[in-house]
Amino acid sequence: MAHTSDTIEAAAVEAGTVDLPAPAAPAWAGLRLPNLTGFILPFLILALWQIAAANRWIDPVFLPAPLTVVTAFWTMVTKQHLAFDFLASIRIVGQAFLYGSLAAVALGIAAGLSRRVEEFFGPTFDTIRHIPGIAWLPLIVLWLGIGAPAKILVIAKSVFFPVFLNTLQGIRNVEKNYIELAQVLTLTRWQLVRRVILPAAMPSIMVSLRYAAGLAWALVVVAEGLSGLEGLGFLIFRAQGLLLTDQLLVCMIIIGLVGFAIDRSMFLAQKRVLKWKQGYDG
Amino acid sequence: MASPAHLEIRNVSKTYAVPGRPLVHVLSGVSFDVAPGAFVSIVGPSGCGKSTLLRLIIGLDDTYRGDILLNDTRIAGTALSRGIVFQDHRLLPWLTLEQNIALSLENARLSAKEKAATVAEHIALVGLSGFEKAYPHELSGGMAQRAAIARGLVNRPEILLLDEPLGALDALTRVHLQGELQRIWQAEGTTMILVTHDVDEAIFLSDRVVVMAAGPGRIVEEVAVDLPFPGDRAAGDFAAVKRRILTAMGEDGRSVHAA
Repeated sequence: MAHTSDTIEAAAVEAGTVDLPAPAAPAWAGLRLPNLTGFILPFLILALWQIAAANRWIDPVFLPAPLTVVTAFWTMVTKQHLAFDFLASIRIVGQAFLYGSLAAVALGIAAGLSRRVEEFFGPTFDTIRHIPGIAWLPLIVLWLGIGAPAKILVIAKSVFFPVFLNTLQGIRNVEKNYIELAQVLTLTRWQLVRRVILPAAMPSIMVSLRYAAGLAWALVVVAEGLSGLEGLGFLIFRAQGLLLTDQLLVCMIIIGLVGFAIDRSMFLAQKRVLKWKQGYDG
Repeated sequence: MASPAHLEIRNVSKTYAVPGRPLVHVLSGVSFDVAPGAFVSIVGPSGCGKSTLLRLIIGLDDTYRGDILLNDTRIAGTALSRGIVFQDHRLLPWLTLEQNIALSLENARLSAKEKAATVAEHIALVGLSGFEKAYPHELSGGMAQRAAIARGLVNRPEILLLDEPLGALDALTRVHLQGELQRIWQAEGTTMILVTHDVDEAIFLSDRVVVMAAGPGRIVEEVAVDLPFPGDRAAGDFAAVKRRILTAMGEDGRSVHAA
């Protein structure tokens, strides 16, 4: 009997050893050579586009050939300061995301820890939240002008709410058992927040940050299209007005690729921060 | 190192008031004594208040009548001198095994070096050396429960409460960990109180078994276990003690397994 149970435990111990990955492995797993499955569909779309353009199924004014778009890209980079507009958009999104999410996490923690703080902000926030960022833009532009600050403010507002609500909810969903454990271990309130509540809320916070980063990037295009004279959003609407479909497509592709890159890096950051979490990997 | 504590439970009663219903008497006039360094088990059916009693002793709940004295002082709130191991291992999933155990020492008056040494010592005590950096999801149920026992002991509490710590484990791991628990108790000499459903486990581990009954939660019998050490579960006197406990639980030997 004793022998059998020893064997079982030993097997469990062995299984544990096998399960133990090198600490860095999960975080970097996403940087391995990309799996090619994801490239099949883009390739097919590109092929269809080329065929459609070559056979003139659609007027080239509305659908230029892929090669024309590549040439337009090169012209924009070398002669029209595409990098300048690109960086203008990136700067706005970067700042908006930073300010919006910092404020959201800070206030979310405060509201999560104190019902009174939540009650104080609740009704105001719930009302502001329902006025879309884009509806704020005209007023903010009147106040701050058509430059970057107005866009940063509006996008930061849109970043703020999902992160705020998820931080709050993440904190409220912390298992009561863990709070009890902290009590048994005589942790102070600060130790409880830092060692128990924040880590427990982290999955929910990280998901909202990833979502908000994507949202911020999508919104910058709209904001730049509605006001201002620079950025990818401005270029895209200008290209439409001038019927420069090739430039329009260049902007769209850049927006798509940057959005993809943002999402992937947020995903990797999430994986790294939550490396203690065992998820379903498919 | 703290010396093992003397625990006295004196006439402890607890009621729950549910609106629109008669008062629920969870515990009614419960009294018993745990000598320093003793291992006492509490057995009884679900709802007899045995886990509630542990919550009172650990200090998570102070709404009761009567007195709980630890070394002649009434307990107040939670304290590092009283440790507990829950049925769910309750390791924090974002901390490694080592960090989980060290969390217990967060407010201990020890230098960082002393803390690290004590943590390592207790990881070795429960046989988990080599798994210091593992996260809880990488541990088996038995390993996680060992870690929880190490976390309960690392502060060198005067008394350790065990709330069905082996209840969720498979039968073989469970028997194995019972042996481990006995070894740890002998090594540390801490006063221990074990709440369990498993009468065999109670007899095997303890020198006294307190039998409780439900409605209201009360003590119906205290059985001294005076068996040659270590307990042999198949021996005749083991069966005699078990019969006595089952009779007290109202099982009258009709069912051999009171799990």
